[in-house]
Amino acid sequence: MSAGAVFEPDPLPQEKPFFSRAAGRIFIIWLLMTAVGVFIGMWAPSHLLPNMLSGDGHTVVVTVMLFTVLAAPVAAFVYAVGAYSLVAWRRKDGGHPDEPPPDGPPMRGSGPATMVWLSVSVALVVVLLVWGLSEFTAAQAAQSNTLQVNVTGQQWLWTYSYPGTGVTSRSLVLPVNRPVQFNVTSEDVTHGFWPAALGVQVDANPDVVTVIQTTPDKLGGFTVRCSQLCGLYHAFMYSPGAVVTPQAFAVWLRAQGATAPAAAKTALVGSGAPA
Amino acid sequence: MTTTATPVLLEDTPLGPKAGGLYRHQNFVTALVAGVVLGFVGWIVSHALLQGSNWGTDMVVTVTMVGWVLGFLGGMGAFNAPFRWVIGHDQTHEDELYAAGVTQGRTRYWKYCTDHKVVGTQYLVLVLVLFGVGGTLAMMIRTQLITSHSSFLSPNSYNAIVTIHGMVMIIATIIMVTGPFANFIMPIMIGAKDMAFPRLNALSFWLVVAAVPPLLATFVLGGVNAGWTTYAPLSVQAPPAMDAFSMAIITFVVSVTVAAVNVITTVFTMRAKGMTMGRLPIFTWGATIGSALGLYAMPAFLIVMTMMITDRATGTSFFVSNVGGSGWLYENLFWIMGHPEVYVILLPPVAAMLEVASTFSRKPVFGYKVTVAAFTAVAALAILVWAHHMFTTGWAPDLSPAFMLTTEIISIPTGIIFLCVIGTIWKGSIWTRLPMYFVYLFLWNFIIGGVTGIYLSDVPADNYFHGDMFVTAHFHYTLLGGAMIAAVSALCYWFPKVSGRMLNERIGKTAFWIIAVGIQITYFGMFWEGFQGMPRRVAYYDPIFLRANQMATGGAYLLMIGWLVLLYCLINGWRHGKLAPANPWHSKTLEWKVPTPVPLENFLVDPVVTSDPYGYGEPEPAPSRADEASPEPEPDRPLVPTGAGGDAGEGGERS
Repeated sequence: MSAGAVFEPDPLPQEKPFFSRAAGRIFIIWLLMTAVGVFIGMWAPSHLLPNMLSGDGHTVVVTVMLFTVLAAPVAAFVYAVGAYSLVAWRRKDGGHPDEPPPDGPPMRGSGPATMVWLSVSVALVVVLLVWGLSEFTAAQAAQSNTLQVNVTGQQWLWTYSYPGTGVTSRSLVLPVNRPVQFNVTSEDVTHGFWPAALGVQVDANPDVVTVIQTTPDKLGGFTVRCSQLCGLYHAFMYSPGAVVTPQAFAVWLRAQGATAPAAAKTALVGSGAPA
Repeated sequence: MTTTATPVLLEDTPLGPKAGGLYRHQNFVTALVAGVVLGFVGWIVSHALLQGSNWGTDMVVTVTMVGWVLGFLGGMGAFNAPFRWVIGHDQTHEDELYAAGVTQGRTRYWKYCTDHKVVGTQYLVLVLVLFGVGGTLAMMIRTQLITSHSSFLSPNSYNAIVTIHGMVMIIATIIMVTGPFANFIMPIMIGAKDMAFPRLNALSFWLVVAAVPPLLATFVLGGVNAGWTTYAPLSVQAPPAMDAFSMAIITFVVSVTVAAVNVITTVFTMRAKGMTMGRLPIFTWGATIGSALGLYAMPAFLIVMTMMITDRATGTSFFVSNVGGSGWLYENLFWIMGHPEVYVILLPPVAAMLEVASTFSRKPVFGYKVTVAAFTAVAALAILVWAHHMFTTGWAPDLSPAFMLTTEIISIPTGIIFLCVIGTIWKGSIWTRLPMYFVYLFLWNFIIGGVTGIYLSDVPADNYFHGDMFVTAHFHYTLLGGAMIAAVSALCYWFPKVSGRMLNERIGKTAFWIIAVGIQITYFGMFWEGFQGMPRRVAYYDPIFLRANQMATGGAYLLMIGWLVLLYCLINGWRHGKLAPANPWHSKTLEWKVPTPVPLENFLVDPVVTSDPYGYGEPEPAPSRADEASPEPEPDRPLVPTGAGGDAGEGGERS
């Protein structure tokens, strides 16, 4: 960059490298692509995720929606610049296939562009973080009338027991609108306790009890799957689950062999339903 | 060095009949023989000593694998020079020249060669072979998943294949850019005659080769059924294959460590006059920071695999919970390696791709200092995010917000990389040659990989997505769609320098479109599976996931065709391509100023650097600088291919 060397001015306008006619066109492409992204963000989560049966599950749906909608303008910006560059700034080679086109402008960086980019990404991260933390706190809040369920994983099945009733089952039945706490452990290797439609998940580790809580708020069936590779028949390690009314839950407990008082006590305590 | 009109090239030095000593008789074949023999000796001895003990089988497999690795390296000649130094008969200059490949022609590619360009080419071929192995395993996985209860693979084979697919691909992607290009290209870029430690360079390559047979031997030793993460305690109980797997990883970690030390030392000590840190080509920064991060991350892998072997073979209980150990200890150590490792994979190809973006936009790299700062910030934050892989393990739930914080913060410097790419493209003269195509594909894929990553960084959303196919799709978008596509871009860019020939761009662009479409179909299929709630690593699945799986498998077959066309493009180019001029892209970095094929020790005249290599659109440098910077290739010199298509080693055509 020594002074006095021959310098042919570039044909492209140099004065305002970041605010030109190109910016207007890129803006339009950006707007269209953002709209597509927002549409995908609004449509895909509620149509592709399973029917969620708990508040944590609904949080998953809303989170995916929100994050996609927030990310859409950023992704669309990169795509818009990329697409526009291919259309508008593509140059024929310099007269011969192996000759490059003339050099572009010697733009080595832009403080304002970097600052804008940084500020936008910092702002987005702050939003993500506040969202994540608030949901996280809500998910952690303890409840009083919580139903306890002990979950035991072993190669390759799940066992659920309901303390106080003597009931042990291979299927997970839960009363609606009542907090439930899963005390999860394993007999052998690490498994992943994943009742997907409840929006919670925790590993089942041998000799350790891990705890998660949620509150089913919709009636329906779901499947509990193992989410941690646990050996030969990992793929077959799943069990049926259902969220039922408190009355149906009491009936189910009795059918599983619980004595009537114990079933009633476990099923209906704090549920607000008539005993 | 002389600057006479007809310089004597080093590779034309006549060597005496005894130059090289024992090296003369050593090559890949003697290494294989020595490896097998020593492995067999190890097996016999350990079997005799340990018969009847509780841990016999595991110890025997471990000792056998140690024997294989040491025998292979010894047979290769890795210990010759250190041994001669110890006994006071250090290598002569002639011996060193022989070790660098002088007089051996093409056979030097099968030897313990210290020339950094030979090592780079060896790495490139090895990477392609590993991608072939990993890709074949991937196709077997996808074929099994065509239907919900396929009988194509048994569950045990399926688990073993899933494990080795993952590990082979991780090894291949870690070395895919730092192996070929940080060895072949980077020393020339900074004006060095070779890497700082040429023998360690050869060692790093042959260690990776030594690690491959133990990895593949797992299939006949019962199969590793625990996934590439080999979580304890399942892996502690796994068949003896796990011992071979651990030894393969320990060997590989030594290789990466040696290679990383070499790259860093080279950059810090071997730069040409005037090549200040501020003038380093951006790829050099990416390779250096990636290597430094590898130096932090990979030892944890060595430690965790050593503990794994002692748990299995000697009765320790680091990871066995009912006798005082913890699976969480394994998981922590594994991810302390495992997450930085993602950026060890990512940074070098991304940096290489920035060179491509600059060359084919005919513009300087946008925000050079910002980019270097972003790389550094990514590397620094990368060591603080590991436990986001453990949000759902139950370990330290109170730390989840902290790891969510670091994980989301790391998206800021990662996002800067996008700014740098699109800033470089902005108002450039876009020259749409093959390497540039892959830059655009990188942008497309890596955005998708990044956006899906933020769902996983969010603890409540991760509670749904963890352990399901969504994660698989996400990291394939980042590692295959991002890092690997950037590496392909770099490969197409540097191919003329490495091979001495040009690629056929029509074939290459055909491959590009098939790959581009194949990636989208395959991994959108996997996203769909993940949204629906299909767990990872299952050989059979609920029929509700059928259509998503068929989409992914169909896309995978398309993707396979694309890779095969690209492979054909590479082989065809290497054998029959048009001979490449020294600087086909009219790029400004130093590697394009040396002749093709690059002579031994690269520079006939020590280069002096007066500016950074991104002066596109800026005043032509003063005439004196061109002379200073490096020797220009003689314009009337006949074009000569290197590597498979020809022979740089003899160098006869140039005299």
